[in-house]
Amino acid sequence: MKTVYKLFLTMLLVVVACDNDLDQSPPNIASSDSLEDFGGVLNAAYFYQLGSTSPMAVMGDFRADNGLMQEEPYPSFDRFNGDLVDMEDQFFGPFYTAMYKSILSANNVIENSSISGQIAQARFLRALSYFKLVLVFGDVTVNLSPSPSTTDNSILARTSASEVYNTVIIPDLQDAIAALGNDFSEGRATKIAAQALLGKVYVHLGNFSSAESQLAAAVNAASGAGISLEPNFADIFVNDLNSEIIFATQISSSVPDEYGFSDFWSWSGGLDTKSLEPLDPSLIAAFDASPGDLRRAVTIDESKMASPKFPQTGGPEHDWIEIRLADVILLYAEALNNNGNSAGAINQLNKIRARAGVAALDSSSLSSTSAVNQAIHDERRLELAFEGHRWFDLTRMGTAQSVLGQNFDNQYYLFPVPLSEILVSKGIVKQNSGY
Amino acid sequence: MKIKTRLALLSFMLLSAFGVAQTQIAGSVVSEDGSPIPGVNVVVQGTNNGATTDFDGNFLISASSGNVLSVSYVGFVTQAVAIEDQTTLSITLQESFDELDEIVVTGYGTRKRSSLTGAIAKIGGDDIASIQATRADDALAGKLAGVFIQNQNGEPGADPKIQIRAASSISGDSNPLVVVDGYPISGSLVTVNPNDIQSLEVLKDASSAAIYGSRGANGVILVTTKKGRTGKPTYSYNAYASKSSKYVGNIFKSGPEWGEFAEKEIASGNWDMSQIDPAFAQWRIQAYKDSPGAISIEDWLFQNGSTMNHDFSMSGGTKDINYYASLGYQNTEGVVRTQGFERVNARLNLDATLNDKLKAGLSFNGFVSDRDIVAHDMRDLLRAYPVHPVYHTAESIAFVQRLDQEAQSRFGFSPFDNGYRGGDAPFNNSIYTLEPGMTAQDWHYGRANNGIGGSGDAGPATKLDNAERYQKTYFANVNSYLEYSLTDDLNIKTVFGADMRDTQDYYYQGLEADSKARSTQTDLDQIDVKRMSVLSETTLNYAKVIGNHDIAAVAGLEFQNLYVTGTTLRGTNVPFGDIVNFNLLNPADVSISERKETISRRSVFGRIQYAYNDKYLASVSIRQDGDSRFGTNNKYQIFPAYSIGWNVHNEDFFTSESVSQMKLRVSTGSLGTTSFLGAYNSLSLLNPANTAFGTGYLIPSDVANPDLTWQTNTETNFGIDLGFSNNRYNLSVDYYTSDIEDILINQSVSEVLGTTAVKLNSGDVQSSGIEFELGAALVQGNDFNWTLNANLSTVNTEITDLGGLDELPAIQYGQSGRGPIFRNYVGGEIGEMWGIETSGDVEMIYLEDGTRHPNNQTGESYVVDQNDDGVIDRTKTVADGGDLVKIGQNTPDFYWGLSSNMQYKSFDLSFQFQGSQGGEVYNIDPLYYGSQWSGRLVDSFDADDDGLADHNDLPYLGNRRQLDSGIQDASYIALRNLTIGYSLDSDLVNQVGISSARVYLAATNLLYLMGDDYTSYNPEGVETTNSGYAGPTTYGVQVGASPLVRSFTFGLNVNF
Repeated sequence: MKTVYKLFLTMLLVVVACDNDLDQSPPNIASSDSLEDFGGVLNAAYFYQLGSTSPMAVMGDFRADNGLMQEEPYPSFDRFNGDLVDMEDQFFGPFYTAMYKSILSANNVIENSSISGQIAQARFLRALSYFKLVLVFGDVTVNLSPSPSTTDNSILARTSASEVYNTVIIPDLQDAIAALGNDFSEGRATKIAAQALLGKVYVHLGNFSSAESQLAAAVNAASGAGISLEPNFADIFVNDLNSEIIFATQISSSVPDEYGFSDFWSWSGGLDTKSLEPLDPSLIAAFDASPGDLRRAVTIDESKMASPKFPQTGGPEHDWIEIRLADVILLYAEALNNNGNSAGAINQLNKIRARAGVAALDSSSLSSTSAVNQAIHDERRLELAFEGHRWFDLTRMGTAQSVLGQNFDNQYYLFPVPLSEILVSKGIVKQNSGY
Repeated sequence: MKIKTRLALLSFMLLSAFGVAQTQIAGSVVSEDGSPIPGVNVVVQGTNNGATTDFDGNFLISASSGNVLSVSYVGFVTQAVAIEDQTTLSITLQESFDELDEIVVTGYGTRKRSSLTGAIAKIGGDDIASIQATRADDALAGKLAGVFIQNQNGEPGADPKIQIRAASSISGDSNPLVVVDGYPISGSLVTVNPNDIQSLEVLKDASSAAIYGSRGANGVILVTTKKGRTGKPTYSYNAYASKSSKYVGNIFKSGPEWGEFAEKEIASGNWDMSQIDPAFAQWRIQAYKDSPGAISIEDWLFQNGSTMNHDFSMSGGTKDINYYASLGYQNTEGVVRTQGFERVNARLNLDATLNDKLKAGLSFNGFVSDRDIVAHDMRDLLRAYPVHPVYHTAESIAFVQRLDQEAQSRFGFSPFDNGYRGGDAPFNNSIYTLEPGMTAQDWHYGRANNGIGGSGDAGPATKLDNAERYQKTYFANVNSYLEYSLTDDLNIKTVFGADMRDTQDYYYQGLEADSKARSTQTDLDQIDVKRMSVLSETTLNYAKVIGNHDIAAVAGLEFQNLYVTGTTLRGTNVPFGDIVNFNLLNPADVSISERKETISRRSVFGRIQYAYNDKYLASVSIRQDGDSRFGTNNKYQIFPAYSIGWNVHNEDFFTSESVSQMKLRVSTGSLGTTSFLGAYNSLSLLNPANTAFGTGYLIPSDVANPDLTWQTNTETNFGIDLGFSNNRYNLSVDYYTSDIEDILINQSVSEVLGTTAVKLNSGDVQSSGIEFELGAALVQGNDFNWTLNANLSTVNTEITDLGGLDELPAIQYGQSGRGPIFRNYVGGEIGEMWGIETSGDVEMIYLEDGTRHPNNQTGESYVVDQNDDGVIDRTKTVADGGDLVKIGQNTPDFYWGLSSNMQYKSFDLSFQFQGSQGGEVYNIDPLYYGSQWSGRLVDSFDADDDGLADHNDLPYLGNRRQLDSGIQDASYIALRNLTIGYSLDSDLVNQVGISSARVYLAATNLLYLMGDDYTSYNPEGVETTNSGYAGPTTYGVQVGASPLVRSFTFGLNVNF
């Protein structure tokens, strides 16, 4: 009896709280292999474009002759030497990360989604991301898989810019054009946006004949889709989904600002300590050479030496304009001109000039192709100031040195690759020369 | 003949049966301070006749004249008392200093020290409580060999880094397991009141820690709290009050001091002012000197701190049940403004003997703390502009307005008000509407190009006044056990307990704290995490001595579940106003996330310890653990350990007079680590977020890994324990080597992959070290005694394998691109700092405008082109053709401690030295304090822009570019504690009903010697919270560490 009693007591003491299971999974989070609807992943691809807003704003205008940095080490943007590496943490690093995350999300949709509309939007975003990367860094790593190898570093080798254009950007845009519609109500990618972007890509490549056909298609389809030039220049920057916007990266205070780039306008507006009076005097001079220009009051404020282009009305609500109709029309003019049709070019140019309240140009006063090109570029500068275009226009024309009045090597047309990428790739990714 | 023998035998037996005039002797046993000792064994030598003292210390025994009584009790020297004719006896037992008799707590049991074969360090609770530290773990610094305590975050109440022997992990922390009264708690040692500790043991080597299996690789800290003792209830009260201040004096010059310094430097030609309009420079220097209310920011930010501590405890018991209860309260105000720590501890321990077979116990520990943390990055506060006061006065406002007028009229600058970048009303946007009491901001004094040169910052008071951060912790641990004696030697014990830790983190940053008043920079965050663990453990314990064989064995089963639940609220666009509440935020601005995790563990273990004749010792243990965190392929693992020992001093052939103890021991075993793994790291989880078009699934940060498994640490320990002069002097030397395989590495990968790091088991690290422990009872007299303890430990670690890679991707870590490049490669240590070698600072004469900001330096240095190829390559080592060299490493070469206790009559004096030698820290602070605002070098310094200084053709770089100028010596020698005490005369205090009382004066960090080149406030500080921190692989950078504190204390111990 006693022995039985003892054994019973022993067993009782042992079997206390035996309920535990070694297979645990979280009750409140989904895991990636169970996903069926890729709409959320597509939304993420749009979201990551936020990481390019301030960098493009600063690279596009401050490196060129529209804006000036004042507080060290930011003025390295105004110098054409290896100093720019200092800006990696603030701009190039987050830009690089965000673009590749957008590309990964797009790859996931393209490979796995069954809805062609989603795939087409993803192709557009992927092309846009690679285009931005190539403009900034030149040769870049190409990744077209949603789950690239974590152990094989050779996939990180930089592909030449021309190959990226021909094998990734252009085919993606062509596929997107074929499948996208023209619904501008939400702010998603559209056919016109894809055509406009493809046209821009061709212009950057110097392939003006292909550019012309794409841009013509975009310009001609615009009015039918509700896209037209805003009669009042200032209105473009007040309402987010106004009629001139073809594609913009949506920014609003309710979307988490992961990169701190929602306030891209603070740079041109003189609101950031690093450049309190960012207006470059040469832009003032450019406006002086265009008397009566209605864009002057909207674009520059000489008393503050800053730009009031994006007025502050309570909170970060301004979308980052990627493509608007005026930009497309000016590119179209450039393509027409380089294809020999300078009359057609001037015709397009005058649409912009009319809206700006400036006298129309007369084809008799402009004789050569290069003169018309010069006029178009001057117009681009005044029209698109502080929207992240100027530097990239100067580099594609090859006129950066002469316009800025400085002598430097063409290697400084590109920006430095983030140091962390070079280290992590164990030498497979090399830094751009000059840095 | 036979009859005579028989008669003789008979009478002999009769005599022995009745004894020779046996008498009853009544006696009492007391200890040296007069208190009775219950449970003492009193045995007539050579017989089985024995008795035990009752709870008054009294006993009754029959003995006859000529007998010798052997009186013995654990912890006291056994006494032999010869009986003559007395019927009463009064015996005083001396406390034993003989270590061999010491009982040491091992995992799941206790063992006499003489039978131990592992490396276990022990410290008594009184030694911990005598250091007036906020936390029990802070008090351990320098006390034990092989235990390194680093106060990496100097704030009061912050967790220190505890490293036992070598770091066992590359990617995560090496925190040891903390077991309190047998329960592995889910908190840190802060939850245990130092006054409650009876003893603390540290299990350092494999054979002692392996019984804890997968949690033992970082060492195990066993805490045993005080239990009641049978006897009259005793009550004790301990209290102290301290005043503290920061140890290091002011580093920076205030505006006026800088003004004078600038004038001297210009006059002596050290600065080149040729590029600056002399009238402007003069105006600016004069402004620095005249600025009303200008103070160095250190005078405002740092203050005198104070601590107040009260502890009450009560213990006692009857023969059936005994109890120990305590309550403690401490309130500390830190040396930095807004820093503070307040805690309350409560404990109740009950132990009962239910009958002669059953014992039971219940214990409860509660802990509440509130830690006020400086809400703004200290580095950012300290780079404030010392030309203006923190708050404006009427004079400073008038001064500022005058400066503005002068700037405009004399130099044609634009108005100072143009420098304002903040928001609209109610923020003040003009210096002409300032009122006394408003915070002074940099732009009030103009900017670099239109005034005397501020930074556009909001000013330290604006930042700190509009931000708040605190952390509250609530912890409770309930534990119960039931022990049943199956037979005399075998018992079964079951432990059931739970603990809960609730941490609340709160952070608020208001609109005004940002100089641009950007709504997006405001924050209102509240993070609540509750961790609960439930443990059930059943062990079978066997202990028997059969002749010369001493066997002890334990076998057990353990089940533990951990539950983590939490809610995180993060809000932004916090509206401006006095009331701060989540209700006032736009719902779209508040992001909410929750956390629900369960981790399960299941284990079975066993151990046998054997000693033959106290000469030959052996121990074997084995444990199997299963854990739900690991990949499906690898949930279980087995951890064995073996050790042997030889007490040479007990051998017959050992006849040395002076050497009283010589023990040799060897142990080896394997342990596992899991500590820093999250609950679901082997799975790949989606990350939902709000995007412009609705819910978006962001790139997951984990890649699924079904092979995720334990890290296994195999360690071998060789030890020798020596004792001299009857163990008055003791020396222990331990040498250990450990090999850690399948190390979990957060392998950095390219951003192209969408995640910055992937967890893989692919590494091998080997470590070794030597530990010395010396104890000496130098003087043991009646009036004066003096004991000394010293220890010294070394640690060497080398990475031997990285899963086929030669090195992990190098990581540049620090603050905004400043900081060294951390390299972790095969053949090197963990967390080596690499950078470019410098050969000197660029002189101030090449600075374009030395007056531009106070406290500035050029911030540039001449660098060494290692391979003379004209290019300074910061991406490759010299071996690969670049210019990177190793510049430092944070792990010290060795660390040591020395403590001394002296007692003369009623006075006692003790001190504790502690030091660390050979560690280095990359100090980023000077890059902000001194050269952030330095501006440019003159154009003529490098006119052709070729990266070489024109005057000496040397290459040069800015200090922010991973140069070795940031490396500073983190070695130190500290007089951690000095205490002088006086025990009041016992007769005097007895009259008032007090049994003893002591008062004391103490000083903490009275003397602290730092490295010559160290320039900030705390060489032990290491930054671990900036983004990009990857554990030990990026350990060693210092950014704005809270200062070292020196304090003076007055305290009181009273026992009733």
